[in-house]
Amino acid sequence: MPTIKINHLHKSYTNEKGEATKALEDINLEIRDGEFVCIVGPSGCGKSTLLEMVAGLLDSTSGEILLDDVPVKGTSRDIGVVFQDASLFPWKTVKKNIVFGMDIAKVPKEEQEKRLAKYIRLMNLTEFENKYPAQLSGGMQQRAGIARALVMNPKVLLMDEPFSAVDHLTRCTLQEELVRIRQEENRTVFFVTHDLNEAVYLADRVILLTPRPGRVQQEYTVKLPHPRNRNDDYLIRLATRIMADIGRGCREDEAAEYFI
Amino acid sequence: MKEKRKKRFTYITALQILTVAALLLYMQYAVGSGKVSKVFLAAPTDIAQKGIKMITDGTLLPHLLVTLQEVFAGYFLAAAVGITVGLLWVFFPKLEEYMNVFCAAIMAVPKTAILPLLILWFGIGFKSKVVLIFLFAVFTILYNTVTGAKLCDTKYIKVARVFEASRVQTVFKVLIPAALPSIFNGLRLAAATVLTGVIFSEMQSAKAGLGFLLSEAQSNLATARVFFIIILVTLISVGFVKIIAGLEYLLCYKWRKL
Ligand SMILES: Nc1ncnc2c1ncn2[C@@H]1O[C@H](COP(=O)(O)OP(=O)(O)O)[C@@H](O)[C@H]1O
Ligand SMILES: [Mg+2]
Repeated sequence: MPTIKINHLHKSYTNEKGEATKALEDINLEIRDGEFVCIVGPSGCGKSTLLEMVAGLLDSTSGEILLDDVPVKGTSRDIGVVFQDASLFPWKTVKKNIVFGMDIAKVPKEEQEKRLAKYIRLMNLTEFENKYPAQLSGGMQQRAGIARALVMNPKVLLMDEPFSAVDHLTRCTLQEELVRIRQEENRTVFFVTHDLNEAVYLADRVILLTPRPGRVQQEYTVKLPHPRNRNDDYLIRLATRIMADIGRGCREDEAAEYFI
Repeated sequence: MKEKRKKRFTYITALQILTVAALLLYMQYAVGSGKVSKVFLAAPTDIAQKGIKMITDGTLLPHLLVTLQEVFAGYFLAAAVGITVGLLWVFFPKLEEYMNVFCAAIMAVPKTAILPLLILWFGIGFKSKVVLIFLFAVFTILYNTVTGAKLCDTKYIKVARVFEASRVQTVFKVLIPAALPSIFNGLRLAAATVLTGVIFSEMQSAKAGLGFLLSEAQSNLATARVFFIIILVTLISVGFVKIIAGLEYLLCYKWRKL
C-alpha cells in the first residue's frame, strides 16, 4: 500500500488581475511506505508548490493527494515538514522550539522529555538545547528544525531544500545524519532539492520535474544500498545522466531504471 | 573593535562634558555679572538652590505626584487598549476594516487642539489629563502592534499550521511573540511623547501638576524655578523611556540582542 498517492494533480496560481499561471500539470506519483523520494528540477518548476500541497498548506487546483488512501485536506500531524531555513521561532530556545508541536498536541510531559532527549541525541544537539536560534549556525538550526519535525513521529517527512542554506561540509554531515536516522527508523521521506548529487546520494528514487509548468519528466531508481559512498561511480554517472536529461528538457520518457 | 569603540567613546565624552561645562560657566558668569537679566536666564547655582528649596519645603512633591499619577494612568490605559485592539484587529480583519477610518481620523486631529473640549467634558482636573495622555499614546501603540503582528513572517504561521495550532494558540504562541519587538517600539515612542501632553495641558488649565508649577513660576518671573522644572520634566521623560526599554530588554534581549 503506497503511503502517498498523487493523482492528476494540477496547480495554477491566480494573480490579482485574474490571470492564471500554471505551476504544476498532471502530476501522478506513488510513494511507498518507507521510501525515500527526492524531487529535483530547475528552480521555479513547482517543487515547493508540490511539497506544500502534500503538507496540506496549499490547496490544489484539481486532482487529489491521498495519504494512506485518505485525501489530504489541510495539515495533519501524520505529516512532518522541514523548511528550507529551519524557520525556528527566534524567541524560543532550541528545546522549546523542538517541543512546540508536542505542546500543541498535548503530549504528556514525561513523554515529551523522553522524545526530546532522544532527538537531541540523534541530531547531535546536546549542549545546544538552551541556546536561542540566533546563537546557532545554519547547520545547527536545521538540526533543530529536523528534530522538531521528527519528535512528532510523523508517518511522512517532507523536506524542502533543507540543506541548501548551509556550507558544503555541513551539508555532507547533515546528509549522512539523515541517512543514519532513516536507517534507525524507517520513515517515508519526500525530499525536495536542486542538488543532483545530494538527490542520488540520499534517495531510493529520484523524480525529475520539467521546467514550469512542472510535470514528471523522468524517474530514476537508485539501486545502491546504504551506507553509500558519495563518490561511487554509479551515483556520479546517475547524477550526470539526470543533468543531461534536464538539458534535454521536457521529453516525457517512461520511468527509467538505471543500472551500471 | 570593541576597544577602539570604547576609546573613541571616552574621547568624545570628554568633549561633550567640556561643552556642557562651558555652557554652565557662561550662564553663571552672564547672570552673575548682570550682563543678562535674571528674567531671561538663571545661574546654575541659583537653579540648584531653588530646586533644593522646592524639594525640602515640600512644594514640589504633591505636584510631582499628580503629574506622575496622570501619566501612569493615561499611559497604561493606552497600552492596554492599544495592544488589545491591535490584536483584535489581527484576529478579526473586518473589525480593522470598520475601525481603521475612525482611528485614522482621530489620530489626525492635533491632540492639543481638543484640549478645550476635554476640559468641558472632563473638567480641569485629573480626568481630562488622563484622557489627553491616552489619546497621545494609544494610536502609536495600536498601529505598532498591528504592524508587528502583520509583519510576522508567514513562515512562522506555516510552522503553526503544520503543527495544527488553533487560531488562539497561533495568536498567543506565534503572533504576539513575533510582534513583541514592534509592540515595544510603540510603547517606547508613546512614552517619549506623553510628558509633552501632560505638561501642556497642565500649563493650560490645572490646579496642580508640574505644568501648573511651571506656568506659575513663569508668571512670577521665577526663571530659576522654570529651569529647574524643565530639567526635572526632561529627566522624568528620559527615565520613563528607560523603564520601558528596560522592560523590553528583560522580555526580548535573550533572543534579539545577541
Ligand atoms: N504564491 C504564489 N503566487 C503566484 N505564483 C507563485 C506563488 N508561489 C509560487 N509561484 C510560482 O509558481 C512556480 C513554482 O514555484 P515553486 O513551487 O516555488 O518552485 P520551486 O520550489 O521548484 O523553485 C514559480 O514560477 C513561481 O513563480
Ligand atoms: Mg522552492
